Amino acid sequence: MRKVIGVLLAIALVTGVALVANRPGPAGAQGGGTIEATVTYAGAAVVEKLKVNKDTEKCGTEASIEKVVVGGNKGLANAVVSVPSAKGGAPKAVKTTVDQHGCKFVPHVVAMTPGELDLKNSDDILHNIHTYSTANPSINKAQPKFKKVMTEKFEKPEIIKLTCDVHSWMLGWVAVMPNGFFGVTGGDGTTKIENVPPGKYTVEAWHETLGKQTKDVEVKAGQATKVAFEMKK
Amino acid sequence: MSAARLGGLRAPGVLIVAVALVLGAPGLGSAQPGDAKAGKPLYDLKCSGCHGEKGDGKGPAAELLVPQPRDFTSGIYKIRTTANKAPTDQDLFRIITDGMPGTSMPSWAVLPDKERWNLVAYIKSFAADKFKEASKKAELPKEVSSSAESIKRGKEMFEAIECHKCHGTEGRADGPSRSELKDEWGHPIAPANLTKRWTFRGGASRTEIATRLTNGVLGTPMPAFIDSVEKPEDIWHLTNFILSLGPDSPHYATLVTVTAVSDAIPDDPNADFWKKLSPNNIPLMGQVIIDPRNFNPSIDLVSVRAVYNDKEIAFHLTWDDPTQSAEDVGKKLYADAISLQFPPQPSSGSERPYFLMGDDSDAVYLLRWQNGKGVAEATGNGPAKIAPIQGAEAAGKAVYVNGQYRLVMKRPLVSKSETRPTFTPAAFMPVAFQAWDGGAGETGTRMSLTSWYYLRLEEPQSGRRFIIPPVVAILTLAVMLLVVRVANRRA
Repeated sequence: MRKVIGVLLAIALVTGVALVANRPGPAGAQGGGTIEATVTYAGAAVVEKLKVNKDTEKCGTEASIEKVVVGGNKGLANAVVSVPSAKGGAPKAVKTTVDQHGCKFVPHVVAMTPGELDLKNSDDILHNIHTYSTANPSINKAQPKFKKVMTEKFEKPEIIKLTCDVHSWMLGWVAVMPNGFFGVTGGDGTTKIENVPPGKYTVEAWHETLGKQTKDVEVKAGQATKVAFEMKK
Repeated sequence: MSAARLGGLRAPGVLIVAVALVLGAPGLGSAQPGDAKAGKPLYDLKCSGCHGEKGDGKGPAAELLVPQPRDFTSGIYKIRTTANKAPTDQDLFRIITDGMPGTSMPSWAVLPDKERWNLVAYIKSFAADKFKEASKKAELPKEVSSSAESIKRGKEMFEAIECHKCHGTEGRADGPSRSELKDEWGHPIAPANLTKRWTFRGGASRTEIATRLTNGVLGTPMPAFIDSVEKPEDIWHLTNFILSLGPDSPHYATLVTVTAVSDAIPDDPNADFWKKLSPNNIPLMGQVIIDPRNFNPSIDLVSVRAVYNDKEIAFHLTWDDPTQSAEDVGKKLYADAISLQFPPQPSSGSERPYFLMGDDSDAVYLLRWQNGKGVAEATGNGPAKIAPIQGAEAAGKAVYVNGQYRLVMKRPLVSKSETRPTFTPAAFMPVAFQAWDGGAGETGTRMSLTSWYYLRLEEPQSGRRFIIPPVVAILTLAVMLLVVRVANRRA
């Protein structure tokens, strides 16, 4: 009897592993390369400050609009690095979320493949989701305190500005990308794009105020390709 | 090759046919398909002054207008009955026909229907691709009629969804986010004053208000609320609450009546005494005669309640001002202010001083209040020549609550000075008003004002009205009895 259970368990386990392994992951999973991108900016950080006249319990008394965030080694945060021409690579399975927290959009820049975005309101006050887009329908919906999550669809690749009219300093970006090969730079200005099928590509780096740059790279199976962008005003 | 040549040769014709086909396709609620080509000359004549020849909202008059004229090339329209972006033809036709209250867009009902439909077709052609998608009529929740209960629920929802952030606690457009609001084009935009629904851009009917709440006002900060209320029918409770916030029309007065009272007049602007008097509502316009002009005045109405007794005359003024501001030279801020203007001495004829604060030959008497300084009297010989009157006799008190000033100004009824008028019962006295919203940058000639109105002090209600009618009645009765007696005797 125990043997039977053991065998059944083993079968279940193997099937499970096989299922996970066979998930429609990036096509290059078994032979793709990695792009290690570094985005730098030699200029100074740009932070606009604004005195807050409402909801100070949630928003604080001073709001800062972080237009350019520069970390160590001139690393530029919040830049979207992508490989638009790469083929394959299924949409990332994880549902993307933006939280309205402390009267800020967290994260400031979110990248996703076409699909649904969850907009959370963890502030317990009124926000409104106001998007500025051309390819996708623009949205302006109120999100009162009792509406904890609203789900919106963005079906076409486009970089969309996200604002809140109640708190004019709130600014966020939703980068809807054509494929799953993208990353958003962290505080150090780096990001990794994994499992890119081998081949020659044009890699793009986009920043909300510093614009767009492209670089040509060749990705080789099982190897890391470094690419560096130096953003300018 | 031949097709290309054909295309090259025939392109304009083909294009016109194609555009006509697209535009002519009957949209939702479209009563008549318009002809864009026929609409163009009319547009150039009637609309381009503000909306621009290219339809981009940059006509020669545009820079003076608040709100700015519509940019038709964007395809974004504030007032729509649809759930998607594009309005219906009927929506556009309605705005052309009725105009937009509170803006510079007038009613074009003077044009024949057909020409207005042609204009609809032509303005759509500025953003033809935005109208490709079929309009989807916005579904309103099942209507809930107004009741005390519904209004109560509407108030609860108004607070829960924080309408006050922009529209203010009592709906007077004085919310804390007011100064931050921008439209799609980055121009500052003011929230609606919910107590003055005759200024609602898209109309003030129940359905129109519910529609704005349901799908928002496109291109502005006003979001759609249909997915953001607790239950869909809350849209109607909110509508009923909004309708309870103010009258349906301002019911403007033509004459300011000053009521005679025998008791003391309270100084407190919030006293019940004042609430019992019906207001004389006076419309104010921007001062556009002397530079710097005020093309977009902030204060458009002042409610006047006036009383007098045997000693003094008092004016209770109520007006909406979304920002309470005192003078701060360092910050270039100006004080909120209001003033009443009278001729210094009553004239027997119809001659009155120049309405714009007098001129060099004829002065005016000004009874003024300024935030931070209080009440003062002055002599005006034009806006730039205002001299305070020495030995002030006037006093007053103001309060500011939720976007509204309430002010009481008092003065002796009789004055011996030549610079101050004496108020006489039953006589018509010219009066004019000026107001400044310092928070909107109004100061000096940048003001709202009226031309001359008339003020009349009711005749005092003396005790004689209790004596004369009974005496007359008794005399009549006596005469009748006499007649009856004489008649009886003769018989």
